[in-house]
Amino acid sequence: MRVALCGITVRFGALTAVEDVSLAIEPGEVHAVVGENGAGKTTLMNVLFGLVAPQAGAIRLDGQDRRWTSPQDAIRHGLGMVHQHFMLQESMSVLENIVLCAEPAGRFGLVDFSAARSRLRRIAEQHGISLALDRPVARLSVGERQVVEVLKMLYRQAEVLILDEPTSVLTPQEKDRLFATLRSFRTAGKAIVLITHKLDEVMELADRVSVMRAGRLVWSGRLSQTSKEEIARGIVGGALPPARQRAVRTPGEPVLAVRDLEVAGRSGAVGPLSLRVHAGEIVGIAGVAGNGQGELIQAITGLAPALSGEIALCGRPVTHLDVERRRRLGMSYIPEDRQRMGLALGATVSENANAGRDDRRAFTRGPFLDRAAMARFASGLIERFRIRVGGPSALAATMSGGNKQKLVVGRELARNTPLVIAENPTWGVDIGAIDFIHGELMRMRDEGHAVLLVSTELDEVMALSDRILVMYAGAIAGEVAGTEADRETIGRMMTSRAHQALPEVA
Amino acid sequence: MRTLRESAVLREAVSWGVALAWIAGVLFLLMALVGAPFGEALSAFLQNAFGGRRLSYLMATLSRAALIAGMAVSVMLSFRAGLFNIGGEGQLVAGGLVAALAALFLPGPPLFVLGASILAAMVAGAGWALLAGLLQLHLGVPLLVGSLLLNYPIRYIASYLVAHPFRDVQSGMVQSHLVPQATWLPYFPGTRLDIGILFIAAASLFAIIYSHFTLHGYHARMNGLSPAFARTVGLPVGKLTLQTLAMSGAIAGLVGAVAVFGVHHRYIDGMLVQPLYAWTGIIAVLLVGMIPWAVPLSGLFFAAIQTGAAGMERSAGVPKEIALVMQAVIILFVASRVSGALVASSERRAGGGEGA
Repeated sequence: MRVALCGITVRFGALTAVEDVSLAIEPGEVHAVVGENGAGKTTLMNVLFGLVAPQAGAIRLDGQDRRWTSPQDAIRHGLGMVHQHFMLQESMSVLENIVLCAEPAGRFGLVDFSAARSRLRRIAEQHGISLALDRPVARLSVGERQVVEVLKMLYRQAEVLILDEPTSVLTPQEKDRLFATLRSFRTAGKAIVLITHKLDEVMELADRVSVMRAGRLVWSGRLSQTSKEEIARGIVGGALPPARQRAVRTPGEPVLAVRDLEVAGRSGAVGPLSLRVHAGEIVGIAGVAGNGQGELIQAITGLAPALSGEIALCGRPVTHLDVERRRRLGMSYIPEDRQRMGLALGATVSENANAGRDDRRAFTRGPFLDRAAMARFASGLIERFRIRVGGPSALAATMSGGNKQKLVVGRELARNTPLVIAENPTWGVDIGAIDFIHGELMRMRDEGHAVLLVSTELDEVMALSDRILVMYAGAIAGEVAGTEADRETIGRMMTSRAHQALPEVA
Repeated sequence: MRTLRESAVLREAVSWGVALAWIAGVLFLLMALVGAPFGEALSAFLQNAFGGRRLSYLMATLSRAALIAGMAVSVMLSFRAGLFNIGGEGQLVAGGLVAALAALFLPGPPLFVLGASILAAMVAGAGWALLAGLLQLHLGVPLLVGSLLLNYPIRYIASYLVAHPFRDVQSGMVQSHLVPQATWLPYFPGTRLDIGILFIAAASLFAIIYSHFTLHGYHARMNGLSPAFARTVGLPVGKLTLQTLAMSGAIAGLVGAVAVFGVHHRYIDGMLVQPLYAWTGIIAVLLVGMIPWAVPLSGLFFAAIQTGAAGMERSAGVPKEIALVMQAVIILFVASRVSGALVASSERRAGGGEGA
């Protein structure tokens, strides 16, 4: 099926998210749509999928004008979309999730699960996908959940597949598997739209590239007619940021000391873990998601109780203190989940920016809020962290992912605490914002703060860390100095306990 | 942009029109069913909600509205903080009971007795609400369950106390003695409306200021929007929960005291439970989506519907059951319309979510 978007324009209030964009999606091709967060990629695809109604422009399927009243309309006409945030029912099985809203009705209106099962088997076999259909989704890894989303589209006989940042949650191996599946779709004559900001993936998989910047389409054509550098320049609209220089500095006093920490995890206890983070260094924790990093961070921040062991912050024991006291002692935390933990989406930017500040007197008068002072502080953050948003009184929900993240990072770093904990700080964020956030973390290190960085993106850990700890199955599988790190060694530690015999990690 | 807004207003007007037409249609059908004259019933409804000789019915509506709005304000404080405290009834009863008993047994000048009794009622309401909060924080009983279940013991404790130890036996009813007449809340000059409504107005004003302008109210709202966020940025969630519940309960207790000193002048078994003040208050809050300034108006709406329907029964001979069905129909259509409009406007404000 041929899809054409003609002159699409979308406005949210005063903000023009997409302006007069036209592009064509051809069957048997992978079409990469790249651009910074806030460039309008997701909005454009939401238009195609019927989630957003455009102010102007038309959608054409095989030359016929279409107008969607809802995503169901688009699905009926052979479109499928995998969103950045998965839309699955955790307590239901894989099979139930896939047939949901498209159940094959048998006699008496009962759901004919066996028919669905055999059809799914055929689809999975055809594209080389293997997945246990009866497991509850709650017990699947993030990568497996994505496979469920992809199968869901195939089950609905989608001819055009839209994937929004599909690899941001995957390990390198899972990514390879996904790409193999997508190649199989291409061979089968399906059209694939890949929204991404990772240029390596574009170079690896795409046939056609469209570059968006600030709501406009700046370039569209075959991949063979362009180069990685040219695409990158198109995305940022100018020269690329220079490679990062690392100032040499000797680490100072230990700021965070964790000894023999054990935490309750979803599948058994995590730990015992011991680690130290000194002033003026970035310690990176690498590992595939779900190997105990989340539990470790929850225990350090005070969000989850420690079963045993000790945590000391700036030389003071904090194992039994609550989140508020730990933060006051000198801890900032950039959580992985900005939608739920990092921000209150229903509140304004200003309200989000001021939450969790220690100097409450700066924005209150007695028991009353000083709204003007709150707005001033938020405006300061908006300016300093180059957050693209309507203003301090805009709702947090109106920002794009990268800008939401910048707000969280800005709020936390502005507290200027001795310890900064950053958990996947650039998850689903564009090149410009990644560079900016990395720069800020480096600046904190250079100014003598201790930074604990947890990331499932190996490149990120390697680019920033002075020391790298690798977590596997709830324990620290090994330590590598940042300068000596190579992907092979770390990759091996990420998947085996072989390095447990190494001397204790300090 | 301008045309967009105009068309939105037009859409809004049309959907209100449709809702009103539905209400009229269903009511007409119901009246035809029981053979009541439509015009007469309608005028009886309006007359009994807002009219009467020297506006006496309007005063009855206002008096009822005060109690409903008070409960609504109490519930709103909890709901906005993300605390599903549905134990307003228990807190109300605790307040009413303690107010009546305190006034009966406290010595001293009437004004002191009145003030101390109201204070005691607020403490009692707050205490009862705190009990639910402590159950959640220390024993892990969800607030929704704990607060609901705590409605029953206090109700029967109150029934027992006015049926046995403190019963006004001569009256032949299950009720306490009358509180000293000097402590009764006076009426507004020339009306039959007691000044209790001023207490409720003060509580509403406090709630509006608290919700919009105080640090505590701001923290509570953050917790209501996202509990995970509140915990992550280190807001004192446990303390916030208890303080908010105490405020909620104190306002419910105040409502109980107003009912005693303004309306009944004693504690009568069931006087705070049967009229469903607490539950109507919850619906009144949900109707306007927890927007503080709209909560008292919503309380007035419910009171008017209830007194109007009661009047229809009295003057136009519409059977009580049918009057109650009509009441439900009106509430249903208006509620769906109002909350629909509120959801739509909050979606417009959010501007279509993550626009990456």
